[in-house]
Formats: sequence, structure tokens, C-alpha cells
Amino acid sequence: MQNSTVISMTALTHQVTSPAEISCAAVKLRQAVLETEISPNDVMTVFDSWAKSLGTHEFDDTPGIPFLRMWLRRGTLEPIIARELGPDGLYGAWSEHGRAQCKAFPVGVVGHWPAGNVEIQPILSMTCALLGGNAALVRIPSGLLDLTRALMEKLVESDPAELLTRRIFMAGFDHDRQDLQEAMAQAVDGAMIWGGEEAVLQIRALPFPHWARVAVFGPRISVAAMDAGSWGNLDEQDTWCRRIARDVWQFDQQACSSPQVLYLEKGSGHSTAQFLAVLRRAFETENQAHPRRTIAAALTSAICHARASWLLKDTAHQAVFPNGPDWTLLLGSGSDLPQPIQGKTLTVLEVDNLLDPISRFDGNVQTLGLGMADREKERKLALLAGKRGVDRIVKLGQMHVFVPPWDGVDLIRPMVRMVRHVSSAD
Amino acid sequence: MQQFEEKVESLLSIPPYNQPPAERQAGLLEILKEELRYSCQRHAGYRNYVQNWPLDYQSARQVADLPFLPVGLLKANPPLSLVDFNEIKRTLASSATTSQMHSRVVLDSATARRMTKGVVTIVRDFIGSSRRPYLVVDTADFKGAANTVGARGAAIQGLQPFASETTCCLTLDDQGDLKLDRDRLREFAKDRQDCEVLVYGFTFILWNHLVKPLMAEGGCLNLPKARILHSGGWKRLQDQAVEKEVFNQQLARTFGCSTDRIIDFYGMVETVGVIYPDCSEGNKHGPVFGDVIVRDPLTLEPVAAGEHGIVQVCSVLPTSFPGHLLLTEDRAQVMAYDGCPCGRRGISFRFAGRIPKAELRGCGNLQINRSLVN
Repeated sequence: MQNSTVISMTALTHQVTSPAEISCAAVKLRQAVLETEISPNDVMTVFDSWAKSLGTHEFDDTPGIPFLRMWLRRGTLEPIIARELGPDGLYGAWSEHGRAQCKAFPVGVVGHWPAGNVEIQPILSMTCALLGGNAALVRIPSGLLDLTRALMEKLVESDPAELLTRRIFMAGFDHDRQDLQEAMAQAVDGAMIWGGEEAVLQIRALPFPHWARVAVFGPRISVAAMDAGSWGNLDEQDTWCRRIARDVWQFDQQACSSPQVLYLEKGSGHSTAQFLAVLRRAFETENQAHPRRTIAAALTSAICHARASWLLKDTAHQAVFPNGPDWTLLLGSGSDLPQPIQGKTLTVLEVDNLLDPISRFDGNVQTLGLGMADREKERKLALLAGKRGVDRIVKLGQMHVFVPPWDGVDLIRPMVRMVRHVSSAD
Repeated sequence: MQQFEEKVESLLSIPPYNQPPAERQAGLLEILKEELRYSCQRHAGYRNYVQNWPLDYQSARQVADLPFLPVGLLKANPPLSLVDFNEIKRTLASSATTSQMHSRVVLDSATARRMTKGVVTIVRDFIGSSRRPYLVVDTADFKGAANTVGARGAAIQGLQPFASETTCCLTLDDQGDLKLDRDRLREFAKDRQDCEVLVYGFTFILWNHLVKPLMAEGGCLNLPKARILHSGGWKRLQDQAVEKEVFNQQLARTFGCSTDRIIDFYGMVETVGVIYPDCSEGNKHGPVFGDVIVRDPLTLEPVAAGEHGIVQVCSVLPTSFPGHLLLTEDRAQVMAYDGCPCGRRGISFRFAGRIPKAELRGCGNLQINRSLVN
């Protein structure tokens, strides 16, 4: 068993150097899909075991692992599968639709191009395709090789029957190896592409087969907003500010779901000064609990530039920041959407009415994180935000919770084919 | 202001690298606080920036605690100015950068005067004070437009106080490209084998438009007493795979001098009057009227000796724009905080290139290009 585990581990993650390796791997993956059908239920059984195996201390300091463990659980995935594939989809069965029957079939081999800034994204992307019965050919960003390998070791241990592991090939290669990128694109039947503008445009332009389904999760930014009833509630300020800090801290504010700006709707009789003092404390506390360990000098430079630029631009602007580049609050007013800086730089803007900034969104905003006491106003905001391109309207503190639909699309359904059969006897 | 001028003048009149670090720090701190006060009075935006700094500068105990301005803010249009428009005598513009946006700094008479004195004080420490024939490896139009001078022009003009006569040995051909005027060059070199001469050119210009053409001919200028100063950085030569050692050897061979007569100096238009020549150990030093702090990007604290970080430059010379405490976009390694074998006191450091451009990754990397629409 031990020998088999060692062989399986190295068989899953590869340092690829030639297009032939990729093509060969894709052939084997496609064969695995054709030979053995697996249902979402089969997949979830292995995932459950995998989730348990990730509870070791080895992953204590790895961002995203608690979420990944929760994601892999049957309790999380079953409702998603039921919603996307129908109640009969769980066991891969045909479901009745009047005189026809429908069943989900995999598209085949799904290529995954995850972004490099979300540690667990290669795994998350892969699981979506596997749940559809597909095989997964995953390009691992160079900075995530070691972690991904460690996570996949645990999957190997959890899948002694190789139900899933024979459907997975993880390829490590430089992103500027155009030949390998093209080989990967040509070999797949579907693609899940994640990342910034440059990466997405480059990968979308690869020579995918004409039948390939391509799901793109491109660059977006996210925004937070609160009404005075929420931020002005002294009993809840601590809680809201902790939630905001948590949303800002994760992924160093580089994720599409990271809030770059917080709009505070003015309220008569309320001053934001108290709230901002609490927000500052929340940032200091979060920074003590989760200090940055490394930083690119260019980001430090950008943060320093943002601070100075903000304060020089308008004498009504204020800012709060420590001596180092750890975090920054830029304070002002107005409905304009500021240029994102990231690196835990949150612009806080007072507005007369939250409807105003939201009415100006132009499709670039993915998530609107809300803290609203006024339910009716929240409904109006959600409606307007949806019209203006926002795909997720969630509670502050939950901006990064990865639940479909994501970027307005399902996660499993795009990589399955819903096949319709009408009996010839009818 | 008069007291301030006197303090600065006194710094400009002493040897620039002899003062012990603690004494220098104390003196600089006092003057820089005055400059901060002055700048806050003259520019509302700058005052706002300083007021929001985490530490009140007036209670700062070291120069490293004072509020610094990122150099990118000097790309503002119109340029940041602490003086009225009619007081501006000249504007210096940087060379095109990777962002294609120029820094521009405005000079009033006082800052321009201090700028000249600063360069003279520093260069004198390296090559002596006597005037000598000056060969400019550039064209004669380095002066630029009446009120605006580029980095090359500023560097060339900065060495004029050491010139008894000036010769430019490059011209422009019909396509507007630089071309070596061999006649002029030969005329300059004629009968000067025993003379001290001063030579200046931008690093890549020296290489491409003097050294390479003469190397191809096997020519040598036979000027063993030439002092060759150059600046402008190594990026373009690195792109041509020319290392510093090869550059120095070939340049020395071209002039017929030894490599220790070649001095590479670092300068930015933004650090008016302060340049950083290589010492005999290959290190750079901050003069008594300015200092250099190398900051850890993770904490923005000064790094320990041996470590790399982001360069901040400090100077008491400019009062026409807020350029006294600038965080640059360059990296350097601190060699020591005192005790350089060359004998110059205070920090010794070596530049380590530009801060690498951030690789934009991840699904949250989006530059908002579209204007907001209703």
C-alpha cells in the first residue's frame, strides 16, 4: 500500500517540459472518463474522506484550508449538486422531464488555469470539474506547487481505489511556455480559467477545440457598503469592523471578492468618527493576529504612493496607517469608485445615499458586501446592484465564501452536458 | 529663513564626508524639521499629508521618523511647488521612465544656487577643485529649452564649475541620431597627454557613441590623466550584455588611462545638488547635507548592514519643492553605517537596481479604465 501511495503521489503532480507529456496525459485522462462513470455521490464519498485528512496540524498556517475542508463536505456539496444538476443528479441518474429524460454527462477532460494568488484555487477549480464526472488537467502556478502537492498527497491517501486520482494530472510549468499552454488547450474539452486581465486574455486566446466549453472567472473588484443604522449602532460596531477586517485581510486583498472600498451612508445624528476609530482597532487587531510575512517592494511602493497621493489631492481627505505598509485606511467622501491599491488599503467614503455609488457600477464589481439595518433599502440595493453587474450580494464577513453561482455562473453545470433522451417508442 | 540658509551654507562649506554619523544626524534632523515646517506653510496638500503621518514630526528623534514623500508624486502635473510661479527660474525634468511619465521639479534661485554648490562640493571631494578642459560626450544642445532642462543637461551643467573650456564631441546626423565628431574629439585630445581633463557622458552614450566606434578603429585618445565621470544607469548596457567591469576596461583603454580614474555616479533630478559617486571601494556615500536611508519593504524600518531595501534620499538643499525626504523606486544594499575603507564617514551603500515591477496576478487585479457611467 505504501509503495502504491508513493507512486500515485508522483503520478499526480508533474514538472512538465514537453507538449507530448501533456498530450499523453490527456489521452489517459480521457480514457479514464470513458471507461468508468462516476456519480457526484461517488466523488463526494472520496471528498469527505479527503476533508477529514486535511485536519492535521501540517496545514494549520495555510490560508484557505478551513474553507476547503468545509467545501469538500457532503453537507456543502449536496445542495449545490441538487440545484445545478437536479435532485436525481446526485447519483448520476436520468431524471424525468415530461416525456423526456435528462442526465448529466461529463464534457471529458477539463483544463484548469487557476490564479496564483489564492492558495487553494487549483484544488477548488479541480473539484468542480470532478463533481461533473470529468477528468482534470490542472496547470499549477509556480508559487503553489509545494502546497498543491501536499494537498494531493492527502487525496491519494483518501482514494485507495484511485476513483478520482486516475482522473487527475497536475502540471507544473512556467506560464510563459507558450508551447505547453497551447498543448494543454488543444487537449481539453472544457476549461476553467481564473485570474487577472492579462492572464485571462492570454489563456482565452489559446487554441481550444471548437467544442470546448470555456468558463472564465476574470478580474473583478468588490465593494462594501453600510447604512447608518448599521455602522452607527454602537453595540454592533466591533462585530461589523471585525468582519470588514477579515474580508480585507484574506488573500492580501488581491482576490476578486476582496473589498477595495467601503461606502458609509450618512445618517443624521451619526458621526463616522467613532466607527472609524473602531475600524482602526479592528485592523490593528487583525494585523497582530495575521501579520504579513513577506511583501513585494513594488507593493510597498504602491501603498506609500497611495497614501501620499490621497492626502495631497484633497485637504479634506484623511488617512490612518501605521509606520509600516501593513494596512491603510483612506478616508473621504464621494461616490466615485477609487482605483484599487490592494495590500490591505481600504478607501472609506461617506455618501449621502448608497444608491448613488452603486448606480455607477459598470460590470467590474463582483461582490457587494453589506451591513444594512434597513431591509427594504437592502432589497433596493440588491436589485440595483444586480442590474449594474454585481453577481454576489452578501453579508460583510462572508465576502470570500465560495458558493455558486460565482461570477454569475454555476460551477459544476458548465462542465457537464445535459443530455436529453426522448424514447423512440413514443 | 536666513538662519536656515546659514545652516545649509555651513554644511556646504565643510568637507562633505568627514562628519561623524551621530553629529550629522543631529544637524540634519534639526534642519529637515525646519524644512518640513516651511513646506507645510507653503503647500496645503503637503501639510495635510504631514498632519496625517503616524508620528508628529516635531517630536521625531531621528531622520528616519520624518514623513517621506514617494518620488512618484513629483510626476504631478502641474509640478509640486513651494514657491509662487514667478519665482520659478527653471524646471528640471527626468528622463523617460518605465511609466513614460517624467518627474518635474521646479527651481527657484536659492535652490538652483544650492544645487550647483552641492554638486561642486561632492565632485571636488573626488577629483579636486581645479578647472580643466571639459569633454562632454553629448551634443551641444544639452542646455535644452530655456526653462526646462533634462537629466543629461543637468548633469553636464553641474560639472561646468570644473571646466576651463568645454568641448562637445557628439552631433546629430540627418536622422537625428547621435554621431561621434571625430575631428572635434581629436582636436580636444591633441597635446593634452600631460593635462588633467574632465570627461562626462551618460553611461550608455559613452559606450555606444564613443567607446564602440573607437574600439572598432583600434583608436586610443592617449589621455592618461583623464577623469571620466558618467551616470545614467546600467539598464541599457545590461540589455546589451555589457558588464561594468568590461565597460570600465574598454573605456580606460579608449582614453589610455587607468580604470581607477573612472567614476560612476548615481543622480536623479529629484535629488537636486546631491549625486552619489562610487568611492575607491565601489561604495556610495551620502554627503553631510543629505543622507540615505535604506528601508525594509516589509516594515519600512532602516535595514541592518548587509541588507537590501528601498532607497530613501534626504537633502536640505531644495526649498522650491518638497524634495527633502523622498522615497525612491530604487533598491540598495547597505554595506556599513560607518567605517568605509575609503575614509568617508557615514553610510556606505550600493545601488541594486529598480524595484522589480509587480507581476499582476490574481482575479482581483483590475485597473479601472472605464469612466463611471450612469
